[in-house]
Amino acid sequence: MSELLQALVNLTMLGGFYALMVMGFSLIWGVMGVINLAHGEFVLMGSYLTWVLNRHLGWEPFAALIVVVPVMFTFGYLVQRVLINRIIDRHHLVSLLVTYGLAILIANGLKLVFTGTPRSLTTALGGFWRIGAVTIPVVKSYDLVIALLMMTALSLLLRRSRLGRSVRAAAQNRQAARMVGVDVRAVFAVTFGIGVALTGAAGTLFGLTHPIAPFAGLPLTLRAFAITTMAGLGNIRGALLGSLALAAVEVIIATYVPGIGTNLGLVATFVVLVGILIVRPQGLFGGLAPMEER
Amino acid sequence: MTVPNETRSILAGRTTGLLVLIAGLAVLPLTAAIGDGWIDNSKLFSMTQMLMLITLASNWNFVSGLLGYVDFGHAAFFGLGAYSTGILMTKAGWPFFPTLPVGVIIAAVAAVIVGRATMHLKGPYFSIAMLGTFAALREIARVARPLTGGGPGLSLPPFLNRPLFYYLALVQAVLIVALYRWLRRTQFGTMMLGIREDEPGAEMRGINTMVVKLGAFAVAAASTGLVGCMWAYQNTFIDPDIVFLDSRTIEMALASVVGGLGTIVGPVVGSALLYWMRDVVWASFLQWHLIIEGAILIGVVLMMPNGVMGLRGSPFASHVRRLLPHRATR
Repeated sequence: MSELLQALVNLTMLGGFYALMVMGFSLIWGVMGVINLAHGEFVLMGSYLTWVLNRHLGWEPFAALIVVVPVMFTFGYLVQRVLINRIIDRHHLVSLLVTYGLAILIANGLKLVFTGTPRSLTTALGGFWRIGAVTIPVVKSYDLVIALLMMTALSLLLRRSRLGRSVRAAAQNRQAARMVGVDVRAVFAVTFGIGVALTGAAGTLFGLTHPIAPFAGLPLTLRAFAITTMAGLGNIRGALLGSLALAAVEVIIATYVPGIGTNLGLVATFVVLVGILIVRPQGLFGGLAPMEER
Repeated sequence: MTVPNETRSILAGRTTGLLVLIAGLAVLPLTAAIGDGWIDNSKLFSMTQMLMLITLASNWNFVSGLLGYVDFGHAAFFGLGAYSTGILMTKAGWPFFPTLPVGVIIAAVAAVIVGRATMHLKGPYFSIAMLGTFAALREIARVARPLTGGGPGLSLPPFLNRPLFYYLALVQAVLIVALYRWLRRTQFGTMMLGIREDEPGAEMRGINTMVVKLGAFAVAAASTGLVGCMWAYQNTFIDPDIVFLDSRTIEMALASVVGGLGTIVGPVVGSALLYWMRDVVWASFLQWHLIIEGAILIGVVLMMPNGVMGLRGSPFASHVRRLLPHRATR
């Protein structure tokens, strides 16, 4: 019983992290139709930035968010303006290849700068909460809180603000949005910036619970893809549910199948994903944009 | 009417050139015997790798360029071939050559099984599902320790006969490129292009698209599996990370895209260019190698979407042609 309860707590915290991690990917895909294969590498950029502040300036990792979010926003904004804007209306192969190229470039650039040695963050927030037989690492509980806060902020931004309305309009119909006076290019650049900023923030959380290594990006990209496709593009609540589902698969495998890492959960996830896509190509919960072939 | 004649003579000229090229490649290792020839073991090794890349890129291009199903996990079949040879040679004590058909069959059957599920998916969904298949196979190879040796890998009996591998790779590359060139002109090739351009349309015309897709996928996977078999024996050591190397699929994609996606000659030209650049330009930038590769991929996709083959007929190409010696009259 306590094992089950512990598994539930673990999957909630893992799911919270996945939900924040997937948010940027989902937003960019849903609004621009670009599948960003450099997503995992953007997460790692956030992690390494946090590591630099943590290691060399002695900042608490959570405090590093104040720097990570604006820096990654600027980076994302520039990447969109320089690279993604040129390929937005072209065949999906083009955006896949370009972002794949970007992924290789960033991963190997990170290896060059930070070497292949796995890095880890030091935090004052070690230790555990104990409730009955269940233990909760303090860091992970804060991870979950921050992830939920950021998702709420994004949700409010999309639903309540003028910018959010423009973003949703541009996602639904580019031409019509342009006609009613939305500067679609600017909206896309800002959206990409927001997506990358969220992704960088997820990188800070990632660094707190995982070793940071230059080539840890691909599994993250794959998870983001699996969750987004399950959930529907740009659908925040769906992404949260999808993240919990994926985390559940991974935690259950890790808890009840001994001697196997969470990476085999990735295998199970893909089997489930392909099944879902065949049965329900629009995702489980529907989304921001119709899931057509672009 | 002189046109047919002329066409024939141009074709004849091209074929002669091609035969001369293949013959040149065939006698290349023999020149090692002539004093200090240009070719040595490391050059021969590098040429072998290039020929293997020509085959791999052609396979990738066959599925991704001609059929339009962009396969981001094609190296999975390479891994299946490599592990077939590795496991049969170390665990079952087989000699090398009998393992080849086994590897080829396993890769082809796997392609049919995987394709049966993933080739229902359209566009990017197929690409990522294959990327996931690739990542999943790597984890399975890591976990299935009794069979695959897990993380520490398998050591095959060493066999350092560089010319043998060179000739195997050369024969395969020539045969595969010829096969694809021929298939491209058959009805099967036309059906593939039809599927790429308009799949529902092809289906409405009565083409059993799933059979065509699986057929093409299985042929490419079988050939990729064969390269994997040979590579494993040549490398004498396999583990999940070097067999299921992320950059292997990237290399295939890069060679095809640089050369010209969806053309038969493109992957050949692209592979040769990549190896030339690697030997000449990047020898002094070892650390930067993959960074430059990523940058080239982005640059080529943005600036010359049809690759080197797309330059034919461009103003730039005709300008270059004017500078070269040419016949004044036709």
